[in-house]
Formats: sequence, structure tokens, C-alpha cells
Amino acid sequence: MSMTTPSQEVADLIARCALRDRVAFRMLYERTSAKLFGVTLRILKDRSEAEEAIQEVYVKIWQRADRYVAGNTSPISWLVAVARNHSLDILRARRPAADDIDVALDIPDSGPSPERATADNEEKRQIEHCLDTLEPDRADAVRGAYLDGYSYEELATRFAVPLNTMRTWLRRSLIKLKDCLTA
Amino acid sequence: MSTSDDIGGDFEGRNALVAEYVLGLLSASEHERVGRLIEDDQALRAERDFWVSRFAELNAEYEETTVPAHLYAAIEARAFGEVVRRRPAVSFWENLTLWRGIAAGALAVAVAAVGFNLMQPRFDADQMAVQLVAALQSHEGSGIEFVALYDEGSGQVRITSLKGTAIPDKDFELWYINGDQPAVSMGVIPVNERREIAIDPTVINPGTVLAVTLEQTGGSPTGVAQGPIVAVGSATPI
Repeated sequence: MSMTTPSQEVADLIARCALRDRVAFRMLYERTSAKLFGVTLRILKDRSEAEEAIQEVYVKIWQRADRYVAGNTSPISWLVAVARNHSLDILRARRPAADDIDVALDIPDSGPSPERATADNEEKRQIEHCLDTLEPDRADAVRGAYLDGYSYEELATRFAVPLNTMRTWLRRSLIKLKDCLTA
Repeated sequence: MSTSDDIGGDFEGRNALVAEYVLGLLSASEHERVGRLIEDDQALRAERDFWVSRFAELNAEYEETTVPAHLYAAIEARAFGEVVRRRPAVSFWENLTLWRGIAAGALAVAVAAVGFNLMQPRFDADQMAVQLVAALQSHEGSGIEFVALYDEGSGQVRITSLKGTAIPDKDFELWYINGDQPAVSMGVIPVNERREIAIDPTVINPGTVLAVTLEQTGGSPTGVAQGPIVAVGSATPI
């Protein structure tokens, strides 16, 4: 056996899927499906919905394997993002159309370019460290948004604060997080 | 619309918006709109990648859970199209632009395949007659491919299967389409042998689209395709 890291092996399997290698697809599924099922279950919080979603997620992975760009994110992070985004799409489609009044609609197209994302392993524990610099309930709100896919409305209910307060909390927390992560 | 003044200035507001996008906090319409802005802007893409990879460290908190074993067969069937996809066939029949796009890409395969199909060359008075070839390539991952050769001299289409196996209780049916006219059946075709079909010499011309659909045994009873397209290609002069 060659001396490749697990991450490289997953990246290789994704690359082989892009070349329509069905054996590689099965191997990729065997290695990663438990993790991705954990994602769809935690976000959708319903077993049969999560089972349907995991099927759609792997069909997407097969169809979009050529879009994985090694170096931007680790291969497993990319796969988790496919599962997470698919689950969030399902939730979002179900939510009533929100009022977008408070969303900043204009994105200035200039401004300093952010530094390139570095490899995940260099960031190990950095986000944990930076979340710890936030007030505990605000850090929990950020975690809830990421890990559980909670909407602003759900977060406001869970933390018993008005919706606009939750939005302000989250945005300020994200700006602080960014400062900490790039310090 | 409010501006970003409550979130600390444009640059920070912009970055917070990308972070909100990554977290999935935006409404469906906003999510789609911001997603497009990000795709179009290198700096915003970098900002998105920054947040995706920073938040990814939290992925350790997703607990591994074994997927029920029976799901994998369904995933393979959907991903590889071994069970031909159920789609309303009419939308494909109407979409001739799509067909021509697919067919244009098939030319290289057609040229390669014709050598194989011309193993028995005709050296007779008709040898200068027009010959057309169409590579009917697998559509939507069906794994079914045919090559069709039309010889004006004989007035016959010779259709040979290259790939794919017969499907129980189903038949493959061959159709031709000229321009925006409806598809016309050329009959049921086998997957494991060559078949020669006599046709009106005026119907197959360069650019005519040939397609194979999966139909009930004996072919579509109505003369209109009912099943999904499994292979498609357009006729090219050789």
C-alpha cells in the first residue's frame, strides 16, 4: 500500500469519481457516508428525511465530483459542505419567505481582498479559540447556526431574544470572529 | 432597505454577509442572490472559502451514523441511471436545441465507430451515394449506445448496438426527428444484433436527429414516444 494520508485517499476517490469510476464511488461512499449521514440527521432532525437527503447528496457528489478543487478545502470538508448545503436547501425551501428588510442588500465591490483560505489543519482549534472569546450564548448561537442549520427565527426563540437582537448578535459575533481568526 | 450601518461599516458588513451566507442564515431569495454575487467576484469567493474552511473545524461535532444498508442500491441506481430516469419524455422531445448540442459532441465517436460499422464495404454502383452516420450516445447515464449508418444507395438504416443490455419487459424504439417536426418511429430495435431498416430516402439528411427511447414491449402503441430517451445523436455525412 502506498503511504497516502486518509485525506489524500478521499481526494483521490473524488477525482476518480469525476472520471466516472464506479468502484471509487462505492469506496468513497463506504468511507464517508456515516459522517455525511450524521450531517443530514443533525440538520433535518428526521430520520426518513435524512435518509432521502443522503441519497440525493451522493447523487450530487457523483455528478459534481469534477468541481472539487484540491487545496481550497480538505476533501472531507467539501463533502460535508455538500451534505450540509443540501440539508439547508431543504429547510430553506420549507420556510416562509422571510422579510429581507434587515439584510444588507448592497455589497460594495471593492475593498481589501481577504487572505486565501489556508489548509484546514492549520486552523485546528483556532475557531474554537475564537468562539471562546465571544459571550457564551453568542458562541452557542453561531454553533447552532452552523451545526444545526438554525434560522434567525429559531435562534431567537431558543435564546429568547427578539429577532432583530439575534441578527445584531450574530453579525457582530461574525465580525469579531473574523478579527480573531485573522489576527 | 437598510444599509449595513448597524453592523459596523461596509467592508465588515460585506464580510459578515458572506459569513451569514455560509452559515445558511439568509432567506431563500437572499441566499440565491448573494450566492450569485459571490460566484461573480473573486474577493467574495475567497471570503466564502475562508469561512467554509474555518467553520469546517466544527465538523468533528457531526456524529458518524451508519446509513441503512439498503440505501446504497438506490443511490447507485439514481447516480448511474441503471434504472432509466423517470422524466416526462415530452420535455425532451420538445427540446431540440438540447439534442443538437448533445449530437454535435458525438461526432468524434461517430467517426471512430463508422470504421467498425463499415466492415463490409459496398463496392457497387451505389458506392458514390451519400452515406450518413450517427453515433447515438448514452443519454442521462443510461449506458445505452448505438451507431446508425444510412446509405442512400440502399435506402436502409443499419443500426448496431455498441453498449447496453436488454431490459426485461421493455423494448428500445428508434426515432428520427427533422427540424421542429414531431419524432417519427422507425420501429423497435434489438440491442444485441444488427438491424437494417428500410426507410423513405428523403427523411434522413445531415442534421437529422436519431434517438432511442425505452418503451413498453412492442414499442409505443400511440406512435408518440412515451418512455425516456436513452441514446441520441445526429446524422453526419461521411
